[in-house]
Amino acid sequence: MARDLLLRVHQMSRQVFLVPDFETNEGTGAMSFEMSKRSLFAAAALLAVTLAAPSAHAQSRAETLRYVTGATVNTLDPNIPGSTREAFALSMSSYDRLVSFGRKQLNGKWVFDLDTITGELAESYAVSADGLKITFKLRPDAKFQDGSPVTAEDVKWSLDRCVSAPILGKAQLLTGSLTSPDQFKVIDPLTFEVTLPKPDKLALPNLATVYPIIINSKLAKSHATADDPWALNWTKENAAGSGAYIVETFKPGEQVIAKRNEAWNRGTPDKPAAFKRLIIQSVPEPATRANLVERGDADLVIDLQASDVQSLEGKGKLKVISTPQYNAVTFISMNNTIPPFDNVNVRRAIAYALPYDDMFKAALFGRGAPLYGATWADGKPPSGGYPIPQPIKLDLEKAKSYLKDAGMPDGFSTTFSFNVGQAATAEPMAALVKESLAKIGIKVDIQKLPDAQMSTAINEKKLPFFIEGIVAWLPSTDYFYRNFYTGKQRWNYSSTDNAELEKIAQEARFEADKAKYEAQGKALNAIHFDQMFQIPIWQAAQDAVMQPTVDGYVYQFTRQVDYRNLSRK
Amino acid sequence: MNTIGATLLRAGRRFVSSLPALFGVLVFTFLLMRVLPGDPAVFFASGPNAGKEEIEVIRRQLGLDKPLPNQLVIYLADVGRGNLGRSMMTGQAVAKDLRERLPASLELTLTALLIALVSAVPLGVIAALRPGSLVDHGVRLFCSLGVCVPTFVSGLLLIYVFYYLLGFAPDPTGRIDIFTTMPPQRTSFLIIDFLLAGDFEGWSAAARQLMLPAFTMALFVIAPLARITRASMLVSLGSDFVRTARSVGLSWWRIVVTYALRNAILPVITIAGIVFSTMLGANVLVEKVFSWPGVASYALDALLVSDYAPVQGFVLLMATIFVIVNLLVDLLYGIADPRATVA
Repeated sequence: MARDLLLRVHQMSRQVFLVPDFETNEGTGAMSFEMSKRSLFAAAALLAVTLAAPSAHAQSRAETLRYVTGATVNTLDPNIPGSTREAFALSMSSYDRLVSFGRKQLNGKWVFDLDTITGELAESYAVSADGLKITFKLRPDAKFQDGSPVTAEDVKWSLDRCVSAPILGKAQLLTGSLTSPDQFKVIDPLTFEVTLPKPDKLALPNLATVYPIIINSKLAKSHATADDPWALNWTKENAAGSGAYIVETFKPGEQVIAKRNEAWNRGTPDKPAAFKRLIIQSVPEPATRANLVERGDADLVIDLQASDVQSLEGKGKLKVISTPQYNAVTFISMNNTIPPFDNVNVRRAIAYALPYDDMFKAALFGRGAPLYGATWADGKPPSGGYPIPQPIKLDLEKAKSYLKDAGMPDGFSTTFSFNVGQAATAEPMAALVKESLAKIGIKVDIQKLPDAQMSTAINEKKLPFFIEGIVAWLPSTDYFYRNFYTGKQRWNYSSTDNAELEKIAQEARFEADKAKYEAQGKALNAIHFDQMFQIPIWQAAQDAVMQPTVDGYVYQFTRQVDYRNLSRK
Repeated sequence: MNTIGATLLRAGRRFVSSLPALFGVLVFTFLLMRVLPGDPAVFFASGPNAGKEEIEVIRRQLGLDKPLPNQLVIYLADVGRGNLGRSMMTGQAVAKDLRERLPASLELTLTALLIALVSAVPLGVIAALRPGSLVDHGVRLFCSLGVCVPTFVSGLLLIYVFYYLLGFAPDPTGRIDIFTTMPPQRTSFLIIDFLLAGDFEGWSAAARQLMLPAFTMALFVIAPLARITRASMLVSLGSDFVRTARSVGLSWWRIVVTYALRNAILPVITIAGIVFSTMLGANVLVEKVFSWPGVASYALDALLVSDYAPVQGFVLLMATIFVIVNLLVDLLYGIADPRATVA
């Protein structure tokens, strides 16, 4: 009897905790006939639990999106300095903006489309003929999550905050000529107007980025203090938006749980988001994340190791969508002010001495879009886009002759740095770089730096030779060149100071004529290749691994998942 | 009664006398963090458009624009008021973060220590009873394996077998299955809170979640405990009083457990105390592998991004726990061996 009971308890516990399907009914019933009264009672109690739990469980599971990530959501307001990318992604769903990006297909995969701007809280918008005024009509039915209507006053307060408070949005909106509260005007409760000093094609796209969230101004103001007039301390831990998901639990470093906002209708089909519940869970170990999604316990993950993605794709049970991150670039960068990299021939020599193919395979398992090995007809850039594949490849003879031109036929010694956070891809790259450069006499010392130390050294322009990446939310050629190749600032990794490049990039910013803009882009690309400020090597793929039932994934400008896109088939 | 009062008084005095050491740890960590290269302001100003201005804003927020002595005085004053500062990484107050995460670490470490003690002491005793025998070698092999396999390897292996292949274990994501409702918070120890709430289903879920990480950690510390037990048992089994006990014909159980083991247990308690403190701070790999929301992984993440306040808070917490554990160990000595007192 005791053995029987043990067996039974064992089986029941299996049913309760492990197999959330409907066979439990039959199994327990068949066993119960030889039980004593007492154990029958216990079994009945357990049975009740068994029957109740899995069905509710299974149902809610299907309507829940469980997303696992190695990173963490650290604030509910994406504007707070130090916000993580996961915080950006959550804010896309917990807040609305005036407008949002559409989507387009790129090589058969859905990606965000910078050129299609659709209304989100705005029902419609109109740009004046001279391009200096943008008028937004707000949705009359839009409500904040506390039920109060969204008005033009809220929009004004939110955008004023974005350009005046010491927050991340300020620098972003600057790139769209949005700098002062004077530019934002309430016409009537549902009409809002933005005035621009110059017609700026990035003004409207900027309003679709992460930062210009529309906040429930009454609610936020009630939490403002004299020291904190924009209620930053409060919004950090409380969401006061009108977005598709309402945050229920927020545990930084562990998880965020949000439920669907049933009243939200800003998606394309004018109905709420598909998943009833959203779980964003931090799982630091990549192997564990791979196990979770393979076992079906997690629905979606985008930050697996390339090797795991490779093997999961091979097994064919899961859906893998790999999109080259077309708004991001990985560089092997050189500081153009530190000798010997101040010599253009040294930079060219390096460009022809890197084992591109080997690096691409070792670091990314070939997952991404290479930016090397192109052929440019008559040596001119074929396009004015950025980044475009460069006509460089491994050619040690050429590298040696450039080194000779630089007056260093015997090579030199230098350090090559990367950060610990990137070690999975950067470590094999560094080893290959070291090996290959040794062949032309350049002795490389590999330096692995903790993330904060690496950012500090880059900011202080102390590293001569390193791996780094950039990303632009609004990837247009002039934006890349203005932000990543000018000025004494952190993102100018190569410390480029080229008057001609700067002049063309600034002109291109306000160029309305498409053909002229393309010509300017080509000119910029030609300068880049000639001077070889740094070496763009590839655009790594973002590998979204998901259950076959998950549908609607779109690669977003944030390089994160927009949970509102997703549904279950 | 009187002796207990006296012991407590002495324990209190011991604690007070360790305060200067804690103060030293506090100042040392503070200075160490600032000497290390890496500027948190630059790291956290990492939005795609963050420039000089953003870096300055963060530096001001963190108070890093003030001279070092001023920063130290402000920090000490804050700590005196129980404010450990704010973490940039999680956006929360460090004291709050630690308060939420310490129970998770303690629950895991205590369970692992319990498992380790329950298996290590008998193993050590058995090995000592038959030194050189097959059993002794078996125990030695087991211990060597436990110690030489790094915890993240054994952790991943256990996950692979029990979660991925067999499906016995729940998914290794933290303290509780994400679909289980949390019990009302009383002690913050989930397995106790669930019991208090009378939620046995929840209790079992939490316990199952706890098993794999606890065993992973236990495997690593069984070795030192078992080896110490064995060595110390060998000495005590060979001593005069055991020979006397044997010669007067006492039962096997009384000889081994009451006389030999009780005399052999002092060094085991000492090692257990040290092992506990080490595990609490050094189980970062286990916490990472099992997504356990503990203090060690919190401190490591903070260290990587030069987030000063959490690291300082963590070191202070660990130092305090170390002091308390040592005090407890000393008190346990008194129980194990009445001749030892808390001096």
